[in-house]
Amino acid sequence: MTQVPKVIGFICDWSVDLKPLSDGGRLRELPNVRVVQVPCSGFVRPDWLEEALNRGADGVFVTGCPYGDCLNREGNFLMRDRIDQLQRRLQRRKVDTARIGMLAFGLHDGAAFLAEVKAFVDRIAVLPPAQPARTAGRPAVAQPAGTPEGERT
Amino acid sequence: MSTVVERQTPGRYARLMTTLLRETLRLDVWVNRLYPTDFNPLYYTGGLSNLFLFTLVLSGIFLFFYYDASLGEAFASVQYITDRVPYGGIVRGVHRYAADGFIVAILLHLLRNWFTDRHLFARDNPWISGMFLLLFGGFIGFTGYQLVWDERALTRLFIGGLGISDGTLVRILFLHIGPATALYAFLWWHYVRLRHPKIWPPGVWVLFCVGLVFLLAGVVPMTRETIPAAAPAAHPTSFPMDVFFLIPFWLLNFLPAGVVVLLLVALFVGGLAIPYASRRETPVEMGVRHSGVAQVIDGNCTGCELCYYDCPYNAIVMVPSPGHRSLLAVVIESRCVECGICIGACPFEALELPKFLERDVLRQVAEALRPGSGQAVRA
Repeated sequence: MTQVPKVIGFICDWSVDLKPLSDGGRLRELPNVRVVQVPCSGFVRPDWLEEALNRGADGVFVTGCPYGDCLNREGNFLMRDRIDQLQRRLQRRKVDTARIGMLAFGLHDGAAFLAEVKAFVDRIAVLPPAQPARTAGRPAVAQPAGTPEGERT
Repeated sequence: MSTVVERQTPGRYARLMTTLLRETLRLDVWVNRLYPTDFNPLYYTGGLSNLFLFTLVLSGIFLFFYYDASLGEAFASVQYITDRVPYGGIVRGVHRYAADGFIVAILLHLLRNWFTDRHLFARDNPWISGMFLLLFGGFIGFTGYQLVWDERALTRLFIGGLGISDGTLVRILFLHIGPATALYAFLWWHYVRLRHPKIWPPGVWVLFCVGLVFLLAGVVPMTRETIPAAAPAAHPTSFPMDVFFLIPFWLLNFLPAGVVVLLLVALFVGGLAIPYASRRETPVEMGVRHSGVAQVIDGNCTGCELCYYDCPYNAIVMVPSPGHRSLLAVVIESRCVECGICIGACPFEALELPKFLERDVLRQVAEALRPGSGQAVRA
């Protein structure tokens, strides 16, 4: 892929401190990475990640607190499980699992976070371009874009 | 939702708490260099407290078999446990050092959850029950020192009646074991709003802590402190201190008794007020973390129970519902901390945070993909 991949990151407001890292919703060092602050990593609905990929994002990731230290006790563990499920689900549609990532960094881990995001972007950059319009698009009536797979717990 | 927040000049308390929060998390960074995050002991202070409490209960039952709660026999029975019962001295040491570990662990637990804002909103119930656990824990430790019935025990607080009588030690034994039982009632209150509470620390930390307690009991045995038995006429002027349970008596060196009692009461009441009296951040400063109590969109709810299983605070209950579904999710507002985990759990778009809607998120996603993109963005 020649052009810079477009990446969207959902960042838990409690995890890595974005103030020194971002400008206008984009990472200062990686302007191709758009960050969306969310109250907890568990807030992110896997459908949104899928939606972002369908709309043309080259990669999506979610950042939570270090495992075991979620402010809301379980958000990042739940999100890790959901991301695993989403990766399996999208793999069947020939979407590379490298396009979906789950990171975990604390308030002071800005440098490590940036390095990990860079590595994530680099992994995506070498992938062949994604197939456009992998699904028929969202139906007009609100319905689950992908049915959940069986029992979850 | 705008993530740019205008900071008003925060008060001194708010700045102090923010500093403490940052330093607490910086400490985590250091500890995480030593241990993987799954084994960071600071993430398991609650589980460690419970582990020490369990150790205390088991060793306490052992001691209870041999202890004789009578004025003439109490000191002698403690000596018998220490010297004659196989491993009795070790178990006594375990009981004592596990009590110290218990207090250290619950104080760490208290400070950590205070400094990292884990006591706010609906999480005041664990905080209040935790204050009671601390109060009862300290009280139990104090009565435990009286049970030994050496000179250190002659702090005539719970004697009752006309001075020391045959009922005295029975009364104190009850005041030791009764509140210890009550600890488990408070623990139920402590856990009742938590789904999957972390009750135990990781296995290696269980082994380490139990091993440490046994090691201390063996290396620094209880018999090193030779305190004479209590005698009614004795007025001890000094005795070996326990820094965790007998601090109020140390304070008596400087302050009159009434002031010490007032100080303890003020500490307890102030502790109870912490979740309500002050906030580190105003709601504006909290930004996306203050997005309103989750709302169920009844028409979309299928009754699948996914949010019910994922809510970490048991804030969602499933109620019977007429119509095409058999159950409907209902958010108990007083328990919701606005984390939004149920939104991520729901594949049917049946839950929303009122101030941070799904369409806000998708609008941000669409904006991110619009400029410079060759692909058409669906409206």
